[in-house]
Amino acid sequence: MKDVSLFIPCTVDLFLPHVGEATAFLLRRAGVKPIYHQAQTCCGQPAMNSGYTQQAKKAAKHFIDLFGDDEAVVSPSGSCTCMVKYHYPEILSDEPEWFGRATELAPRVYELSQYLVDVLKVEDLGATFNGKVAYHESCHILRGLGISEQPQKLISAVKGAQLVPMNQADFCCGFGGEFSVHYPDISESMVQDKIKNFIESNADILLLCEPGCLLNISGYLSRNLPGKKVMHLASFLASNGREER
Amino acid sequence: MQIKTEEFAELAKREVAKSRAYPSLKNAPNMLYTKRMVGMKTLPDVAAYQAYGAAIRAEALNRLPELLEEFEKNAVANGAKVVWSRNAKEADEYIVNLAKERGAKFVIKGKSMVTEEIGLNDTLNDQGIVPWETDLGEFIAQQMQRPPFHIVAPAINLTCEEICEVFMKQVDMKERTLDPVALGLAARLFLREKFHRASFGVAGVNVAVAETGTTINLENEGNIRFTKSSPRTLVLVMSIEKVVPTMKDAMHIVRLLSRNCTGQRLPAYVSMDSGPKRTGEIDGPDEMIIVIVDNGRSKLYQDTRAREALRCIRCAACLNTCPVYRQIGGYSYGWVYSGPMGQVLMPLLLGLDRTQHLYRATTLCGACKSVCPAGIDHPKLFLYYRSMDVSGAPYFKGKKRPSGEGRFFKAWSMALTHAWLWNLGVRLARNVINKFAADGVISKLPGGTFAGWFEKRDLPAIAKKTFRERWKETKGGN
Amino acid sequence: MVQSAKDEILGRLRAAPKETLPPRPYLPPLSELSLGKDELISKFTEILTGETGVVHRVKNNREALDKLTQVVKEEKLKCVMATTDSVIAPLNLPGWGKEQAVNVLTPKDFADRDSFKDAVFDQVQAGITGADYAFAESGTLAVIHNKDQARLVSLAPILHIAILPSDRIVSVYEPIIEKVFSNKDELPSQFVFISGPSMTADIQGHLFKGMHGPRKVIVILIG
Repeated sequence: MKDVSLFIPCTVDLFLPHVGEATAFLLRRAGVKPIYHQAQTCCGQPAMNSGYTQQAKKAAKHFIDLFGDDEAVVSPSGSCTCMVKYHYPEILSDEPEWFGRATELAPRVYELSQYLVDVLKVEDLGATFNGKVAYHESCHILRGLGISEQPQKLISAVKGAQLVPMNQADFCCGFGGEFSVHYPDISESMVQDKIKNFIESNADILLLCEPGCLLNISGYLSRNLPGKKVMHLASFLASNGREER
Repeated sequence: MQIKTEEFAELAKREVAKSRAYPSLKNAPNMLYTKRMVGMKTLPDVAAYQAYGAAIRAEALNRLPELLEEFEKNAVANGAKVVWSRNAKEADEYIVNLAKERGAKFVIKGKSMVTEEIGLNDTLNDQGIVPWETDLGEFIAQQMQRPPFHIVAPAINLTCEEICEVFMKQVDMKERTLDPVALGLAARLFLREKFHRASFGVAGVNVAVAETGTTINLENEGNIRFTKSSPRTLVLVMSIEKVVPTMKDAMHIVRLLSRNCTGQRLPAYVSMDSGPKRTGEIDGPDEMIIVIVDNGRSKLYQDTRAREALRCIRCAACLNTCPVYRQIGGYSYGWVYSGPMGQVLMPLLLGLDRTQHLYRATTLCGACKSVCPAGIDHPKLFLYYRSMDVSGAPYFKGKKRPSGEGRFFKAWSMALTHAWLWNLGVRLARNVINKFAADGVISKLPGGTFAGWFEKRDLPAIAKKTFRERWKETKGGN
Repeated sequence: MVQSAKDEILGRLRAAPKETLPPRPYLPPLSELSLGKDELISKFTEILTGETGVVHRVKNNREALDKLTQVVKEEKLKCVMATTDSVIAPLNLPGWGKEQAVNVLTPKDFADRDSFKDAVFDQVQAGITGADYAFAESGTLAVIHNKDQARLVSLAPILHIAILPSDRIVSVYEPIIEKVFSNKDELPSQFVFISGPSMTADIQGHLFKGMHGPRKVIVILIG
């Protein structure tokens, strides 16, 4: 059985481990063996986004050393995948050897839904759910990686689930990492619009593929609208929409 | 125009509250965003046409000095006069002195962002010469003494009630009305007199063509055509980056600008001027002066990465697509340019130290980059400016970050390359942070660092067993 | 010696690093390029009509004048201004005007700019001009301004009537741009594309026609 290396974002490791476990579960279901490098820590995005390029480079080099020989690296996060695929070569562009290694690794790094649908050619993972779901197109997933069909194919293959359209599904939810901390009023306004569109879609659950968006939207719902549900697509598929933690 | 870029946070907070009270404020960018989508469909291949536009702008910037020289040579051969100005003061002084020499008591103005950048209207007023903005949106904003809310539709946020009040007082409107068409008619009648009597006109330039020395203006209203036809003296003001190599290139840019801006194939009028009127023509300017404004651009041009910000063709597609702009509107950005194009340009013109918020108040969602016909990568530029703050780069006046932040990231980068240290950090953080959790949910943490998050949201407690710990324990879930 | 602003600015620009850019990408051609004459006319008409323009098609100059007579009655015109370009001049509009009890002025009637402006702003109800070309691509009239084609005639009056032979309609801008700008010594002082009446949506996004320029555009195609 083929080995697939799990790239678990620090947000998932600390706050959403069930998403990581769901990722491993789905990959097994799809016929590959997930392995996990214990020494992985963080892709370095927080440092890069704050302008600390030197520190981000350290994260990049650590990652490349760790994952560099893996045949496939799979992550349940769009922004982390983008960081490795596109930003590592950029920030290492002044170090030719590392640039070479980063560029060589990039095509082997995948977001989860992309890997399942495009590489393993699997859409039906045996999940069932009776109800309506809507899909939020996270910025790095959609615009960073060009992924949109794949998660929707996975959703459509769920027996009993109805994927309903949602207004402005491709609009940012207002997370943006630091942005949500430093510009809380603007961020709140954006997540309120997202939730308004979710409610108007009449979906039972809002699905997405990005841990950052998940923390943002679920955090807001927890404070303000505890009845409404948002889930990572991996957890949804692995738990038939019941999300055991 | 007064610079308020440092007040971004307060202005944005106020505007967010206002847009909550007046949800229709979000309609304008949404309407233009929708129109754009329709307009782009009239192109055979959107991505290819946008990419070609980006290539034209990249080449134009790369060859900027030669193209500007070629433009000047050809414009002068057409009979125009070309005046170069290093900064706002030089440009203003030249134009105002010329207006005084010509005995102009008032000037009519076509829409020009760069004239707002150089504060021309204030300088004219100071010298007792009345500038009349003639683009309807600019005219309304001018009468209400408001900055532009949007670079293409400057008064789109103002209500008919507000406009009616001002028009009754200042525009000789006789009867109250809330009908936009009647309000427009009142403006038409008022400004028509100005068009008729004007002896001095000032307009901007959408595209300057090196090959022929031609300047091109796009508009729907006709006020720019009036400005270029009625008065004897015409001043066209352009910033240095407006030039493209050929007329063919210009047509491509015009096709992209129209569709990206308002979703039109073309606006009602595209007028291409190659110098002043010729002998025997009864209208058109006797003299045309093209004022080329630098105002910090040749300096930023030295940096090949920053230079990309000069590709902008002012279509405002980025404003209409930006989820942050929709929430906060144009006033929040604190100066002439708003939305993502303002966020990439103003830090370079004003200095990073005065514009800290402009490149931090973004989620890097990339919507702007995805619609830009000039191929500007706004998120990449935002990250570039942030890195210049960290390194304290003096050229663009990078502002050094708080030392605690630097120490944090240094410790963080050490921890992430040494897993045992990382794991220790996680365990320590969990012990501390989870004390504030109730039912697995944290609603508040002491200290102000994450106050912004908890003001609006909860956070899950750090998992009792992280993914790493669970994997280890269950030997990979097997 | 103090450096001029021009030398300082250009000097800085020249001193900056140059980049090596990739060649321009492939640009797929516009679909309008393959249109035949009738399709050109109908596409031009469709798009301009979509912008509330009115398009009439007539066989010859005689019919053009008949159509003009009809327009004058419908729009209740008493005083108009016509330019003297290659389409309009042969129509002898001043003569036609006498027959129709319409006062037809031309810019050549005026000794100076100011008296011309008084007439075109305040006196006339319509401006009548030819057009040098038209584009099916965007329902656009293209007008070269010169001593026989004053600028304000198609701009100041509330109604603009444009007359042109239908074979002046081409598909896209480029071949005409190439033609008009081919001789750098003979560039027109102004070349204008008109794609409908004047309009704005600056107040609350509410679109209306006739902001500063004409509220209505009527085109008479001959042939």
